[in-house]
Amino acid sequence: MKLFLCLFIFSSTIIFAQTDWQKWGKANYSYAVKDNFHKRDLSFDAKNPERFVLKSLLDSYWFFISDVDGDNCAFSPTCSNFFLQSVSKTNLVQGTLMFFDRFTRDMDFIAKFDFYPRVPDGHFYDPISLYTLNKNEIKYIPPSVIVNNE
Amino acid sequence: MKKTIFLILCYSSILIAQSVDQQKEVNLFSPPNIKKFADYLFCSHDYLRAALEYQRYLSTNHNDTVSYKIAIAYSKIGNYSKAAKLFASIDHQSHLFPDAQLEYYKALFQDEDYFGLRNDFINADLSNQFVLSPRAKKLFYFSYLFTNDKLPSENKFLSHFEGTDFQRVKDFYSWKEAPPYKSSLAAGILSAIIPGLGKFYVNEYSDGVFAFLATAALGYLSYTDFKAGHNFRGWIFGGLAAGFYAGNIYGSIAAAQIYNVKIQFDFVNSLNVFLNAKNFFIPEINFCR
Amino acid sequence: MKWYVIFFILVIVFSTSNMFAQDALKKQFAFAKNLYASENYYDAITELKRLLFFDTYSQYTFEIYELMGKSYKMGGKFSDAILNFTDAELNAKTIQQIYQAKIEIIRANILRRTTDRALQLLDELANDKRFTSKANEINYWRGWALIFADKWDEAAKSFAKIDSCKQLQNLAEKVHKDKYSEVFSNLISHFIPGAGQIYTGNYFSGFLSLGWNVLWGYVTINSFAANRIFDGLVELNLLWLRFYNGNIQNAQNFAKEKNLIITNKALNYLQFDFYGQKP
Repeated sequence: MKLFLCLFIFSSTIIFAQTDWQKWGKANYSYAVKDNFHKRDLSFDAKNPERFVLKSLLDSYWFFISDVDGDNCAFSPTCSNFFLQSVSKTNLVQGTLMFFDRFTRDMDFIAKFDFYPRVPDGHFYDPISLYTLNKNEIKYIPPSVIVNNE
Repeated sequence: MKKTIFLILCYSSILIAQSVDQQKEVNLFSPPNIKKFADYLFCSHDYLRAALEYQRYLSTNHNDTVSYKIAIAYSKIGNYSKAAKLFASIDHQSHLFPDAQLEYYKALFQDEDYFGLRNDFINADLSNQFVLSPRAKKLFYFSYLFTNDKLPSENKFLSHFEGTDFQRVKDFYSWKEAPPYKSSLAAGILSAIIPGLGKFYVNEYSDGVFAFLATAALGYLSYTDFKAGHNFRGWIFGGLAAGFYAGNIYGSIAAAQIYNVKIQFDFVNSLNVFLNAKNFFIPEINFCR
Repeated sequence: MKWYVIFFILVIVFSTSNMFAQDALKKQFAFAKNLYASENYYDAITELKRLLFFDTYSQYTFEIYELMGKSYKMGGKFSDAILNFTDAELNAKTIQQIYQAKIEIIRANILRRTTDRALQLLDELANDKRFTSKANEINYWRGWALIFADKWDEAAKSFAKIDSCKQLQNLAEKVHKDKYSEVFSNLISHFIPGAGQIYTGNYFSGFLSLGWNVLWGYVTINSFAANRIFDGLVELNLLWLRFYNGNIQNAQNFAKEKNLIITNKALNYLQFDFYGQKP
């Protein structure tokens, strides 16, 4: 039994030797639990009139409807955020087309697990960079991956 | 009695010699001890510490094997650019040079510096300073599968591979020569003809079904509203149907692009799996027997 | 020269050489401890590994693994720390050392938030006859494990078993008392939409939720009353139930959010302002 334990510890030491493949220092460990609650960006945006109108409408939608009617979007970013980001990144027409496509994919409750990676809170990761029709921006992430940068 | 004393003296001289040796041993930072400790770290897979200890050893000694092992350590850690530089610095006269040369190409490969690898290879071939091994040639040709450069002719490419590798590499070559990409234009046109068909074309069947249902249902509601004289509702549902219709055409074009990136990703993945299983066609030296 | 004189010389030579070795190992251990004290944990581990490698008679093995474990712990690498503390336990020479190593494993498990494992190890310690005199200390770390497991009421009970632990007991009791009940918040929102939000202090959201539910409830019932069954079903599914379910989700989430603020405040106090022993 002791031999088995020693062998186990030896093999684990090899695995954990990877910890030291980069120099590290004192960790800033916190007892407090990280707050993962969703925070809305309800700030006004007046970069241009189009953006001002769109952001104000979305702010109102988030404040009066979206924050009260529960978590209905399976994706991250949410459909309304996706719309805002799409329009910001491209233009109103292309952004609207991207939104309609996203909305269709959101309705599809069958195939999400086979196509999209997840973010830690369980939502499917579906960034706008995949849909701007710029091939260089498409970074494929397999569905088995948990994406942490969102 | 004299004989006894003589024997004791002999024995004591051995002990004194041992003790002097032991005093040397107790210097934990003497070069031989640093090397011993570094070897232990290396074989425990503690590669960064091993590399640092070997470097400490090299500050007072010269040893090609140690230099080689430092490079291996950085390669294992995943610092391929540093490993490549270190492998390149191994002397041409060293007995480890042929291995270092192969490891150098492997490090460039792992660093995804395929163009650097090929330039270096061609320059080395032209300079005639040393003979490039058949294994290095395999890496040279294999690198073409990772880039969009024009492939060498099939015969020339495959002549460097033999045995079980041959068929696998031939399959890779065929894929690279004619990747089974889907056309974005075709996906868009198909969705314009029947909503959702473009998504079927790129294997996203359920997305296609939902796109068809959304467009058809809203189109039908719009039609019935117009027919019943509810023009306002007719325009709303009609507008939404048009949005879903156009959005689906757009989405099918995007889906074809994503499909192509995905199969390219899978292809590169299978190349890497093959290369890692073959250790990049390089025999690994076991320093830890 | 007499034979015993020669023997005497030999003994001195041999013992001094061994003494040199002892001295070098001792110095090396002191060097590693200095590195640890100056928070240079990575290098401390290197020097401890060097000592381990040259300590052929395993004189320092327990201390080496223990200090390596502590170094990894300070680097936030709790799994590595636990491995080293386990090695320390395997190389312990006394019962006190076994206990010391086990407690370190428990503390690292608490920080790693694998509190189930920590509590299991504490149960094993409590049931081990060798450590009956350590009951207070075991209860103390059980209290900490329960705090990290977010079971503040049980933590308070564990601290209550120790005489000198009133401060932690009071803190755990207060946190337990201050926390909102997620079940209650969820339940009252089932009966009165928005009530859970109001219970957790989110008045605007609560009344807004109530307003939406009243509106869509009225519209839906109106449709059914006017025999517009299809309209009624659509309104029920897409509007009323959407806001009704959202209201329940929010009630529970607000309770969770408020509880996290309360527990994090207590945890921050424990980390930065509490002067007793910590994991």
